[in-house]
Amino acid sequence: MSECACALKCFRVNLVTLVVVRCIMATLVRISSICHKGVKPLFLRSSLLLRPVVAQKKVQDHVPLLTADIHASPSHYAVAGSKAASRHWTGERLLSVMLLGMLPTAYMFPGPIMDYSLAAALTLHGHWGLGQVVTDYVHGDFKVKVASGGLLALSAVTFAGLCYFNYHDVGICKAVAMLWSM
Amino acid sequence: MSVACFSLSRCGAVVSRASVGMVAARCAQTAAAPAAQPRIKKFQIYRWDPDTAGDKPRMQTFELDLNMCGPMVLDALIKIKNEMDSTLTFRRSCREGICGSCAMNINGGNTLACLNKIDTDTSKVTKIYPLPHMYVVKDLVPDMSNFYAQYKSIEPYLKKKDESQQGKKQYLQTVEDRQKLDGLYECILCACCSTSCPSYWWNGDKYLGPAVLMQAYRWMIDSRDDFTEERLSKLQDPFSLYRCHTILNCTKTCPKGLNPAKAIAEIKKMMATYKERGAMA
Repeated sequence: MSECACALKCFRVNLVTLVVVRCIMATLVRISSICHKGVKPLFLRSSLLLRPVVAQKKVQDHVPLLTADIHASPSHYAVAGSKAASRHWTGERLLSVMLLGMLPTAYMFPGPIMDYSLAAALTLHGHWGLGQVVTDYVHGDFKVKVASGGLLALSAVTFAGLCYFNYHDVGICKAVAMLWSM
Repeated sequence: MSVACFSLSRCGAVVSRASVGMVAARCAQTAAAPAAQPRIKKFQIYRWDPDTAGDKPRMQTFELDLNMCGPMVLDALIKIKNEMDSTLTFRRSCREGICGSCAMNINGGNTLACLNKIDTDTSKVTKIYPLPHMYVVKDLVPDMSNFYAQYKSIEPYLKKKDESQQGKKQYLQTVEDRQKLDGLYECILCACCSTSCPSYWWNGDKYLGPAVLMQAYRWMIDSRDDFTEERLSKLQDPFSLYRCHTILNCTKTCPKGLNPAKAIAEIKKMMATYKERGAMA
C-alpha cells in the first residue's frame, strides 16, 4: 500500500514538473514568436541590452529611443525613386558657383540685368542656406511648418525689397560701389 | 570574411610580441620607481550609476603616480579600477586600437583610451567623459543601439543580383579595385567620428553619421557589389546623408587616421551623377 502511495506521489510530482516546464516553454515560444512577428528593431531597443533593474529604471528616467526613432530603414524617409534630395544639393552647389562668377561680373558690368539677377540669386542662396539651418535645428512637424513658413515669408520680403530698391533706387551694383566711395 | 580572419591572425602575432615588450617595460618602470620622484597626476572621470536611486552624474577625481602606471589612458583607468575603485565602469578589450571598445572623450576629444597617451604634464587634470551626446548606460559606457541599428540599415555586406553562383567560386577583384577599399575597410566602428559630429548630435535619429556613411561608401564602390544605385537611392532624403555640412570633426578625431568626410563627399558626388537603372522599382 505504502509503495503504491509512493509511486502515486512520484507520478504527481513528475506531472507537476512537466506542467511547469511546458508552461515555461509555451511562454518562451510565445515571447519569441512576438519578437519575430513584431517590429524588428524591438531587439535593438536599448532597454533590452541592459540588466532588468537598469532597464526598468531607464524606462522611468527618460523615454528611451522609440523603435520608430531608430533609423533602421533609410527608405522610410526617402521617397522611392525620387532624386529630389540630391537634385537640391546639386542646385545649391551650382548656385554657389554661379554667384562666385556673378560677383566679379557685376563689378565689371553693372546694370539693371545684373541688379535683378543678383537679387534673385542672393535671395535664393540665402533661402536655401537658412533652410538647411531650419532642417538642422527645428524639430517637430508643427515647428518645422511654422519655421519654413516664416523663412519663405522672409525670403519673399527680401526679394521684393531688393526688386523695389533696384526699380526705385540706384540698384545693388551701384549701391555697393557707393559704399566704397563713402 | 577572409580579410577579417587574416587581420585576426595578424593581431595574434602582434599581441604576443607586444605583451613581451610590455612586460619588459613594466619591469624597467618598477625597478626605476623607488629612485624617481612620484609624478602625481589627477584624473577627473564622469561617474553615473543607474542602480543607485536618484544618483546624479558627477565628476570624480582620482590621483595616480605616473611612475607606477602604464603610458596610456586605458592603463590609468584599469589601474584605478583594480586598485582604487572597482565600481568604475568602462568598455575595453584589445588595448591596442583594433576593437574600438574603449572609445571615450578624453580632454575634450573623442579617441580610444588605449591609443591615447597620458599627458605627462602633472599640473593639468585629465578629464574623461563618455562619448558625447549618447545615452549613458553607466559611467563611461554609452548606449550604442542606435549606432548599430544605423549600421545594420545600410546592409554592410556583399549583395549580388545573380546569386546562382554563390559559393561556387571566389569573386575576384583587380588590384586597383581592391585598392579603392583601403582607408575604408579599416574602420573599427568605435563611433568616435559620429559622436564628434554636431549634425549627428542634433539629428542622430535620422542622420546616419560619418562612420556608417563611410561604410555605406565602402560597399558602394566595391567592384563585386551589384547594388550601388540602390544603396545610393536609399540616401535620397534630406537627413540620411545631407545633414553632413563638411564640419570635418570626424576626420580630425578618427583614432585610426581615416577620412570619413572624404567618403561622404564622394557619396555626394555619386548621388549627383548616378543613373537609375530600370530595375529600380
